[in-house]
Amino acid sequence: MTPLIQLTGVGKTLKGQGEPRSILSGVDMTLHAGESVAILGRSGSGKSTLLSLIGLFDRPDDGQYLLHGNDISRIAERRAARLRSAEFGFVFQRFFLLKHLTAMQNVAMALVNGQGWAARRRRRARVMAALDQVGVAHLAKQRPPRLSGGEQQRVAIARALVREPRILLADEPTGALDTETGALVIDVLHAATERGCGLVLVTHDHAHANRMGRVLRLNDGVLVTERAGVSV
Amino acid sequence: MALSGRFRSALVIGLQGIRARKLRTFLSMISLFLGVLAVIVVQTSSVLANRELLTDIELSEGKDGTVVISMPPNEQTAPVVLDALRGRADAVGVVETNAIIGEPGVTPINPGAMPLKYADQGGGATKMICDNNMCYPEPSTEAPPPRGQAIEVRLVALTGDIRPFRPFPTVSGSWLDFTGAASFAPRLVLNNEAADAFTRYRLPAEMRMDSARAHSTPQVIGTIHDGQAQPTVYMRLDELVNWIPASTLGTSSGLTVLRTQSAGAVEQYLQAKLSPTSPFFPRTVDSRERIGGQLDMMRWIFYGMAALVLLIGIAGILNVGLATVGERVEEFALRRAVGTPRLLLAGIVLAETLIIGLLTAATAIGTGVVGLQLGSRLFGGNHPSLQNVGFPWEAGVAGVAAGLVAGILGGLLPAIRAARIPIATVMRA
Repeated sequence: MTPLIQLTGVGKTLKGQGEPRSILSGVDMTLHAGESVAILGRSGSGKSTLLSLIGLFDRPDDGQYLLHGNDISRIAERRAARLRSAEFGFVFQRFFLLKHLTAMQNVAMALVNGQGWAARRRRRARVMAALDQVGVAHLAKQRPPRLSGGEQQRVAIARALVREPRILLADEPTGALDTETGALVIDVLHAATERGCGLVLVTHDHAHANRMGRVLRLNDGVLVTERAGVSV
Repeated sequence: MALSGRFRSALVIGLQGIRARKLRTFLSMISLFLGVLAVIVVQTSSVLANRELLTDIELSEGKDGTVVISMPPNEQTAPVVLDALRGRADAVGVVETNAIIGEPGVTPINPGAMPLKYADQGGGATKMICDNNMCYPEPSTEAPPPRGQAIEVRLVALTGDIRPFRPFPTVSGSWLDFTGAASFAPRLVLNNEAADAFTRYRLPAEMRMDSARAHSTPQVIGTIHDGQAQPTVYMRLDELVNWIPASTLGTSSGLTVLRTQSAGAVEQYLQAKLSPTSPFFPRTVDSRERIGGQLDMMRWIFYGMAALVLLIGIAGILNVGLATVGERVEEFALRRAVGTPRLLLAGIVLAETLIIGLLTAATAIGTGVVGLQLGSRLFGGNHPSLQNVGFPWEAGVAGVAAGLVAGILGGLLPAIRAARIPIATVMRA
């Protein structure tokens, strides 16, 4: 079965004003449908950079990146934007909800992105379904400042899920939440994998990491397996 | 379809942005308002000045496209012209002479039909001669008769209705009727200056003309505005011929024919009858182009000033736009993360500034319309050209164009900045 994602020998070097600094080196990783992977590592170990490469925010300097078996290592920005919209859902530590928009409008942001156009009624139905999926449909008309941290993160997850992506990328999604709320958020993300979505979770929290199918660790840009999962 | 989706997305997100930042939108509009208003004022003034000048010239020279032919002075001219143009609407013959209305055997108060503001200043040893351009004294050897209650007028006799060529508005009464039989009591239509003279002086209704068989008793039927400073009266040429032989009119008076472009056959006929060997030299009125040239320099100077004010407004939008993009870095990075293309991000910012530009243009146009109405009411009494004046559509178009240009210029740099925001901003935050 073709993996959703297959990274082979991926490397990334930071080219600043000083000496080039290697952030990632020889990273090999696969992600299958319905599989969840946690990536642990110290601050600055390259976790977010790896997530950026997987989510097509950036391109690797070395190695190969296959998405559904297609090489997208050197993909153009225009196509990358299309793939980000169609294939990926992103959840960030700081939620990134726009304060002037309601929860519903925040979720609809992923639909009003110039990648196709859905009529208002259809858009609304999809948004409400996504909010319902994460249990905050009743907050659809609330603006972010009136929501708790956990509610905001669930709205952010609804935004990530509204286009029914095949891969969910979560960058420390519980970092700004208390333990109990964090666990609820992980539940919601985990539920997405049960519907066949691949999940890559970057976290510092071992408890959350242990709920994932596999646990990988980044040590100074080198990815190692900390706990192998069941082969899919 | 994709373009439509992107266009709609830009519009939806742009409107959301404007709603979220109402105060900033308002401030941007204020900075732009004066600039757009300046463009509208310049355009309005230019159109109104042009219209005013054109109206004056149309009254004195004729509408654009009118062909003016000066007839050769000979005995045949008047009878032939009268015969050729009788009952025609596409050409009119115009005979100009002078007449004195009032007490017989006296020197009129305005010799030479000079404007009334010079009344009682001329006469005596000189005779005042006036043409279309000026009045000038001509020495006279005859001892003048004593000054009395009479005014001299420029008399314009017509073969038909001249208003299709010179659109004289009727001030009171009625215009000449060319359909019925000629009257022996000449029916006169006065211009404002002549009407003013009749209001100011109590004059006996007796009209004297050089070469006339006898004095006539005219009847005044109306007043028109012809833009002339000289007291002028208009009458039917066939009624004038009752008193002055047509053969004399052709030699002693200026005779002109005005015709439409399509009435070339009339000219050919007159040419064949009156001057088969030497050609006429017709002149076509093209006032619009001539005035345009005269106004162009002034208009461009004012446009330059308006552009400067507009530029300040654009700088205001640019400033607010750049500040807003700076504040929205995370939003734009997030939008890119969820698949929004760079071009659409630029489109969102441009949509916002364009909407601001159009809203400002609408406000400025509204202000212009109200201002013009107000000006018309306040100053219309002293300045007839401001009475019942409508807002020119050209000024509306100029306002919308200024708003659009300001929206594009003011939004371009912020749009480029927005499109260049690195997507990884959301990861580093």
